[in-house]
Amino acid sequence: MSKRISGLLILLSILLAGGCSDGPDTNGMKIYRHSLKGAPTSLDPVQAATTYANHVVVNIYDTLYSYKYLARPYQVKPNLAVDLPEVSADGLTYTIRIKEGVEFTDDPAFPNGKGREVTAADFVYSLKRHFDPKTRSQGSWFWAGRIKGMAEWKKAGSDYDEEVEGLKALDRYTIQIILNKPFPQLVHTLAQGYAAVVPKEAVEHYGREFSVRPVGSGPFRLQRFDSVGVVLVRNPKFRQEPIDLAYEGYDEAVHGQYGIQEIEGKIPPLVDRLEIHFVKESLSRWNSFTKGNEIQYAEIPKELLDDVLSEKKPKLIMKPEYAQRFFMIGGIENAFVFSTFNMRDPEIGYNPDPQREKMNHALRCAIRYAFDWEERNRTFYSDIGFIFPGIIPPVVPEYDPDLSRASLEYNPERGQKLLQEAGWTADNLPTLDYGAVAGVEHRQFFEQYRGWLMKIGYPKEKVVFNSFASFGDYNKAIKQAKIKIIGMAWALDYPDAENTLQLFYGPNGAPGSNSTNFNDPEFNRLYELTSVMQPSPERTRLYRKMNQIVIDSCAIVSGLSRTRIFMWHKDVVSFPNEDIVGGFHLKYVDVKEAQK
Amino acid sequence: MEMLQYALRKFITGIPLIVGVTLISFLLMVYFGPDKTYELLGKNATEEQIQEIRHQLGYDKPFVSRYLEYMKELVTFDFGYSDSTGERVSSILKRTVPISLALITPGFVLGNLLGIALALVAAYHRGRWLDKFIMGGSVVGMSVSFLIVIIAFQILLSSNDGLGWFPVRGWNVYNFWDYLHYVTVPTLATVFVSLGYNTRFYRAVIVEEMGRDHVRTAKAFGTPPGELLFKHILKNAMIPIITRIMFSIPLVVISGSLLLESYFGIPGVGLVTYDAITSGDQPILKAVVGITAVLFVVVLILNDIFYKLVDPRVSLK
Repeated sequence: MSKRISGLLILLSILLAGGCSDGPDTNGMKIYRHSLKGAPTSLDPVQAATTYANHVVVNIYDTLYSYKYLARPYQVKPNLAVDLPEVSADGLTYTIRIKEGVEFTDDPAFPNGKGREVTAADFVYSLKRHFDPKTRSQGSWFWAGRIKGMAEWKKAGSDYDEEVEGLKALDRYTIQIILNKPFPQLVHTLAQGYAAVVPKEAVEHYGREFSVRPVGSGPFRLQRFDSVGVVLVRNPKFRQEPIDLAYEGYDEAVHGQYGIQEIEGKIPPLVDRLEIHFVKESLSRWNSFTKGNEIQYAEIPKELLDDVLSEKKPKLIMKPEYAQRFFMIGGIENAFVFSTFNMRDPEIGYNPDPQREKMNHALRCAIRYAFDWEERNRTFYSDIGFIFPGIIPPVVPEYDPDLSRASLEYNPERGQKLLQEAGWTADNLPTLDYGAVAGVEHRQFFEQYRGWLMKIGYPKEKVVFNSFASFGDYNKAIKQAKIKIIGMAWALDYPDAENTLQLFYGPNGAPGSNSTNFNDPEFNRLYELTSVMQPSPERTRLYRKMNQIVIDSCAIVSGLSRTRIFMWHKDVVSFPNEDIVGGFHLKYVDVKEAQK
Repeated sequence: MEMLQYALRKFITGIPLIVGVTLISFLLMVYFGPDKTYELLGKNATEEQIQEIRHQLGYDKPFVSRYLEYMKELVTFDFGYSDSTGERVSSILKRTVPISLALITPGFVLGNLLGIALALVAAYHRGRWLDKFIMGGSVVGMSVSFLIVIIAFQILLSSNDGLGWFPVRGWNVYNFWDYLHYVTVPTLATVFVSLGYNTRFYRAVIVEEMGRDHVRTAKAFGTPPGELLFKHILKNAMIPIITRIMFSIPLVVISGSLLLESYFGIPGVGLVTYDAITSGDQPILKAVVGITAVLFVVVLILNDIFYKLVDPRVSLK
């Protein structure tokens, strides 16, 4: 019997040894527990394609630029760079000075384990990595075809010892970028996780595993990373730069209520330990958030909005029991949802036969009349989404609040009439496949969509759901232009309408970002014209003209920007932002009490 | 020695099983699984980039050479790097499998032990109210979805709307008390669900055993109920019980529990496997499928050895 008990004890010890590890001493530490709805897969900047990856990457690494913490509209500011770039008169040459004395964190990848100084050459190396096929870069599209000599460098075998004409370290602290043609959004791209500065030693030391063993010069360094979260601890070598709230865009009327003034003059990062929990299940996230001693920040689950809010319109107001314990902020996201038609499909898009081309245009416009945005907003977005016409969403400065809302009109009778006038009958209407990743909500989107189409006389059996097991498979079908109707959401990479207009630029057609395969000569001409223009009233005018071309073509049914509502504990000093400022805001988050 | 020879012989005969399982699984992965290429692409991809990624993932190689590579990986237990995270597959498994084991084992053990105990009670009182009560409870346990059970237990025991005694999420386990703190609610949820299935199965086995001649004879000799149940019934019913338990082990070891891990924020192998399935991360899937197949063969061997231990009439030939 005693042998059996010993056996059991040994088994228990093995189990515990497997599940346990040495605990960090967190006494006296300031700990902030953030949460995100999804998880990053890789922490290598070249693969920082998601909001989730960006949140972590920009806290471990430095980027040349970032965004001001509080200023809205968003404003770029120097981060590792000393100042904004010096740009030549022709807009082709950018000269950027970086700060001296910034060091990478200590790591075994460096000689003697001591992190060395970050230099201009590190940035050059980091950007070159995007054009090395071995890195599987997801961000190279920002700079592809834009930096002089980069395409040739890649073609010649991506040899890091070879110079790229348009990307050089002029000296230890000066970077020079020469462009093939002006690219006014360049500074924005240098504020993305993709543009983070990595040390060559770490890339070579860790090889493939560099993606999970990041070594940077950002405000934090990695302590743990797995499928449910990441633990970052303060980088003791991070540069001492006191917070200047006025410079960051502090406005007492907006930020005063959150206690932001308390961080004036403090040196980021303000917490010793930053935990980012990846929680996909909304209820579990909410339970953890309201628990009090677990995650301190969460988005309100859609299904609980009515429980938490006493008023949704015209203002978001929390119920008193929540307002006592939590702060809240709500706003229109830096993204929008819309659906597009595959214009490469001759059954609904462009067709060499002018008569059929005309019929297809009428068909698309009729479908647009069938789409009830108000109903969609009520059903799926708690009636607090922001509906707007076209493809320039309200978060960018080029948004036109006075644009006609005719393209948003719900008028099934008119849609039906359009079909009849164009010669469409139940027999000759094409079968429409609505593509989406398999899931309950997507199925509901489809059923609602089909219901609306039936109101304009579309036969039920001719509107079919084409579901895909994974995003990869769905993306494959889109990139191969195999779906007629594509449900889309686009999160802007930077606050410039160019980022959404490029979705309709002909040469960007599938497998590029133009999933609509829209290809209008006038639109393309204007896009090429504006793509080299600095922000100006004239550029805005042309942007809006391009928007109108897309609307008139009925190539899309657009759009809605969701309102997202975030809450955080009252002992946390923060002004959270998941959009453009994104992960950059985390170094300014403070907590009032240290761990006991 | 006889046992070792038997184990080796059995392992060799298990090789075709491993080959068969891995071949079918790999075939499904390659031809019907998600295409990882399109998960790894940037927003504005080019045809050239698609080809580059396909090449790096090995998708442009013939199926046979890819399968042979897989076999080599299985023999050397070196499955390379995850296509998603870039981390070594062996490191991922080394980190996550022990956590899943620590998470699931208590529920697995308790679910089986309590199942056997309740089955014995129900079988002994067969047809009476206690039997009906236990069986009714089992049906309830089987009928409620695991997801609902998890959410209900989380709200009742962990959240502030309930008792709030245990953490909602996390796995900061550094000593035994931490372990109890984090494992209790997932264990209770597991036991609640598994108990129904286990009790019904074990009761059926025990009831069958109770009708045998030797049990009737023992009863006629006035054997006390405890001795009758444990010595004459349970011992003879051990073969199907061992089979059920043993064949659950490979899944417990390698699959973890996706729902428990995702709802309680536990970084186990279940989440990793699920992500690999949905994203088409073949290096991880190959490892999981291959190791599961090998474990099944090992379990088959151990199963036979346990048969011999509990029933001397069984011969290892």
